[in-house]
Amino acid sequence: MSLVRIAQLSCGPEYSGVQKEIDEAARSVEAEIFFPDIRLADIRQGFDLFGLDVRSPDLKLAIARARALVEGKIEADAVFIATCFRCAEAAIVRNELRRYIHENSRLPVVSYSFTERTTAGTLLTRMEALTTIARRRALLAREVQEGLTLGVDSGSSTTKAVIMQDNQIIGTGWLPTTAVLKSAEDAVDLALKEAGVGREEIQATGTTGYGRFLVGEKMHADLIQEELTVNSKGAVYLADTQHGPSTVIDIGGMDNKAISVQDGIPGTFTMGGICAGASGRFLEMTAKRLGVDITELGPLAMRGMGREVPMNSYCIVFGTQSLVNALAAGSSPEDVAAAACHSVAEQVFEQQLQEVDIKEPVIMVGGTSLIQGLVKAMGDLLQVEVVVPHHSQYIGAVGSALLASGFIKGS
Amino acid sequence: MAKVFIYPTTSLILSDLVARFGHTPLSAALQIREHIQSPGLESPPLQITPEDPKRGLKWAAVEVPSGVRGRMSLYGPMIDQAEAAIIIHDADFSFGCMGCARTNELIQFLLRKSGIPVLDLRYPRTEEEGIEFVAAIKKFLEELGGGGA
Amino acid sequence: MTEYHPKYTNTVTKYVFVESPEMTPGDLAIRTYEISQGVMIKETCFGLQITGNEDDVNAIIDHLRKFDPAHIFVKDRGFPPGDSRRCRANLGGARPGYFGHEFEISISRFISKGLEELPKRPIGSVPKPPVPAGSDKLDAKKIQKIIESVET
Repeated sequence: MSLVRIAQLSCGPEYSGVQKEIDEAARSVEAEIFFPDIRLADIRQGFDLFGLDVRSPDLKLAIARARALVEGKIEADAVFIATCFRCAEAAIVRNELRRYIHENSRLPVVSYSFTERTTAGTLLTRMEALTTIARRRALLAREVQEGLTLGVDSGSSTTKAVIMQDNQIIGTGWLPTTAVLKSAEDAVDLALKEAGVGREEIQATGTTGYGRFLVGEKMHADLIQEELTVNSKGAVYLADTQHGPSTVIDIGGMDNKAISVQDGIPGTFTMGGICAGASGRFLEMTAKRLGVDITELGPLAMRGMGREVPMNSYCIVFGTQSLVNALAAGSSPEDVAAAACHSVAEQVFEQQLQEVDIKEPVIMVGGTSLIQGLVKAMGDLLQVEVVVPHHSQYIGAVGSALLASGFIKGS
Repeated sequence: MAKVFIYPTTSLILSDLVARFGHTPLSAALQIREHIQSPGLESPPLQITPEDPKRGLKWAAVEVPSGVRGRMSLYGPMIDQAEAAIIIHDADFSFGCMGCARTNELIQFLLRKSGIPVLDLRYPRTEEEGIEFVAAIKKFLEELGGGGA
Repeated sequence: MTEYHPKYTNTVTKYVFVESPEMTPGDLAIRTYEISQGVMIKETCFGLQITGNEDDVNAIIDHLRKFDPAHIFVKDRGFPPGDSRRCRANLGGARPGYFGHEFEISISRFISKGLEELPKRPIGSVPKPPVPAGSDKLDAKKIQKIIESVET
């Protein structure tokens, strides 16, 4: 496999002790990091023409290098933008450069704000997505599922399996993740049973999610792929919006993804996962506290008014405490459910959606997209009608099954 | 012979003039050399490890970005030993070690706060300015005493 | 975590830049080889890098400076010469410090002029170096006059 060349635009990683982590993450997905070579005159000109008058020389250099990439003076397959977490100046540059590259070139770009604690492991999924987009454009161009394929999404909370045949979903399996392999086996059995086919008839298999490598190896998968590209693909496929722009939001059990998609291919994306208060887990805990099943939380929230409940923390522990206090003070379960949904949506909105350009349709996927209260809260915040396609909770499995059909022999 | 903090810390011109007039320039290279020549854990390119931003906490608080603290772990000890400083203010093309404006502001503040003599300059743009620039540096260094040139 | 074993310990590396009408980097290199016992010399496009024990390196530099005092500039370098971590071929682009050198070399002729003129200055003359621009605010009365002159 040829090396994917990733251009690094950055300020600070060498001085934070994390440059080796960036290099390592790139190496582990058969990519190499490089620093676009430009001249001093290009730096002056590129920076002046861009028009963002920042003070930090390394940010000026990043801007000039971005211009050289967009203008095609420097060849690259993808772009990685990295600046220090908590630096306002760098955050502005990071966002503007990502937008600029996205709008003016076909280069996939991902950005990250690091601390000295950032490790190669944290960066891996992002680098994998970046190289996949660069390397597998042909695969990602697939719009129709063919043959009989299996997709497995081994997530942190739940494991999903889907059997597809001739562009139709014919079997599904859904289980909480306990032991990774066992949960995957059982979910696949459920899907096979519903589809009425035997395992030996499956022509190609794809896996995604946290357990993708383990499950993929065990099932001899043809495609083992991170969830950013797979979910983007699955979302636009199910929502039937494979052409043009769209935005995919996936609030997961452990992390959240916001992906700006163009023609089914992710352009820019963010992954967040620092706080459990912005995850599906928080909604699970709320449901438990209210004594309802997670499936009932959505309808309950739709009947409530979130703003009636004081929530002064995003933290899963203190946030839950706020909800308990509200119940004790006489708030209705409906209002509390709505407040929990609003809290999660607001946090994702504030911390992640600011970093991608929201273009309609906005598609919500993953298990949490079934919680109507959450979808409504997100729609209210974004002031758009959020689309939730059928089988949205199986998004990763559907995307995997769809892409896996590219591996059917003779296809 | 005085230890003179030079700003930009990567400056060839300042490094040369300070040494030429008999004093010791405190430049980024000295700190980088120490990292590059000390055994430890592999952390290319500069051998600055995640421990260094933690050392930087002595000069910048935990809410300050890691890149600032990492850089301060290089410059903080130099500021502490500096007996004088020469600062060129329009050092817009000093990247890498001097690449972060926030760090640079903090360096300048700490130098002034320390009360050592500071010479403020900008880069010469003509021969006439070059003559005055060199003369001013020589005079400043002479007044520190102990120079050998 | 891989352990790091440094090379070239207890050495110093110094850049010697030459920007002179009288002397090319090549000339400088030849002169240096003549006296370079025990130190490592690397030629570059702008001059040399000299690596060795500090006293030896300083002795060579003192000697070299004499050839063209106003046009030879010296600074320390953190890395030994040819280190792959700083190498253009490995990084894809110049190391960040390169641009700073490129800029300073472009104005080094002003410094050279200053060094040449230094001995000619009268003793006790006060230098008037270029200083950072202060806030040159216009006097309020002057502004008023300007406004009035425009209005009339």
